Amino acid sequence: MKGFAALVLKDLTLELRSGRTTLALASMALLVLVVLVFAFDRTVVRGPEAAAGALWVSLVFAGMLGANRALAVEQEQGCMRGLLLAPLERPTIYAAKLTSCVAFMVAAGAAALVLVVLFFNLDISYAILSLAAVLLLGVFGFSALATLLAIIGMKARGGELLLPVLIVPIFVPALIAGVKASASVLAGAGAARQWLEILVAFDVLFVTAGYLLFEHVLGEE
Amino acid sequence: MAAPIVETHALAKSFGVTPVLRDVEFRLAPGSAAVVIGANGSGKSTLLGIFAGLVAPTEGRVLVFGEEPRRFTPRYRRRIGMMSHQSFLYPNLTARENLEYYARLYGVADWRQAARTWLERVGLERHAEERVRGFSRGMEQRLAAARAMIHGPSLLLLDEPFASLDADGSARVKTLIGSAVAEGCALVATAHAPVELSGVEMELHEISAGRLVPYREKEEAKRGGRLRSLLGPGRG
Repeated sequence: MKGFAALVLKDLTLELRSGRTTLALASMALLVLVVLVFAFDRTVVRGPEAAAGALWVSLVFAGMLGANRALAVEQEQGCMRGLLLAPLERPTIYAAKLTSCVAFMVAAGAAALVLVVLFFNLDISYAILSLAAVLLLGVFGFSALATLLAIIGMKARGGELLLPVLIVPIFVPALIAGVKASASVLAGAGAARQWLEILVAFDVLFVTAGYLLFEHVLGEE
Repeated sequence: MAAPIVETHALAKSFGVTPVLRDVEFRLAPGSAAVVIGANGSGKSTLLGIFAGLVAPTEGRVLVFGEEPRRFTPRYRRRIGMMSHQSFLYPNLTARENLEYYARLYGVADWRQAARTWLERVGLERHAEERVRGFSRGMEQRLAAARAMIHGPSLLLLDEPFASLDADGSARVKTLIGSAVAEGCALVATAHAPVELSGVEMELHEISAGRLVPYREKEEAKRGGRLRSLLGPGRG
């Protein structure tokens, strides 16, 4: 994993310097939550379920944006070519990009969580650790898949459209598990084991697929 | 005789149905230098891309350090330094941060010192803490040269390395490339016209209609062509 630290440090430095991705992700989360808060009829939909749904919708949108942005920095001045020429194992590049995407999504997730708590008037002090674990599992799997698809998108014409079109159908099982587990935690029932197992299984699947396929996805020019 | 650093046999590259390179035969001995001359779009950059392992040939065989570039492991890539039309520099990082980043990627032991040294060598030490976004094209080109050489490669692939450089920048970069070649680094550069590096004997090649031919041979062909046209058809 030589070069991993340098790659991640560079991505985070660029992000801290511009703040573009984090601001865009937080704005997206805020927008989605505002729309959903006013759309839900509280007499029909229970608070924890609505909050879990809103949280995951904002995370998914933010994640798509984050993966694209994590790779967009490599497109200026042919930096991706510079990266491919460097003496790095291809999976190291994938691992670094995945880590950056997770970091951006965690920042967006934290902002979204604060907004959900405020908008839905929730007390999550008793469930903060369980909820954080569920969200981290979801963020990790989503980032693994989004990073891989964003690379495919980078190589294709009109590729930015490819990510949202492909990622949602593939991620749906993990998304359902994440929403159900989060709703369960927010309702005070704890995270149901079967939903957590599905999230872990998808994390393993997506990370393994990304690790193995990344080099082939990069392809030739 | 030492094994060539770069060797091609019947190399060809097409993009879709458009052939760019055909029947390219090329050998570069360790420590020697070659310049490939050609017009815009003649395939010079593609040839360098093939040598670097970034572009796969359509036909033929290419070996760099005795290995197919598409199968390069990090150990092989560590030995190559490349300058392209694009600088590979991050506009929102400073000049120092860019060099330190690449030095770390290439496993340079004292990457901080290496970055300082190379900033001085290309005459950008006063701009070390400025972001590359504010650099002129020439300053960016100097920094790109430092980036390509910071890890002490044994093969330099330079795509029009002196384009956009002023007289001082051009002289500095020429000196640095000349020093690298003098220390045993092999060089393949591209240009629109013959390039001279003091103390370095350069093989001159030209890409003409996709084929790589010795540059002088083409001049002779031109002279022969003129002679033939003077003598009339059927006499050449």
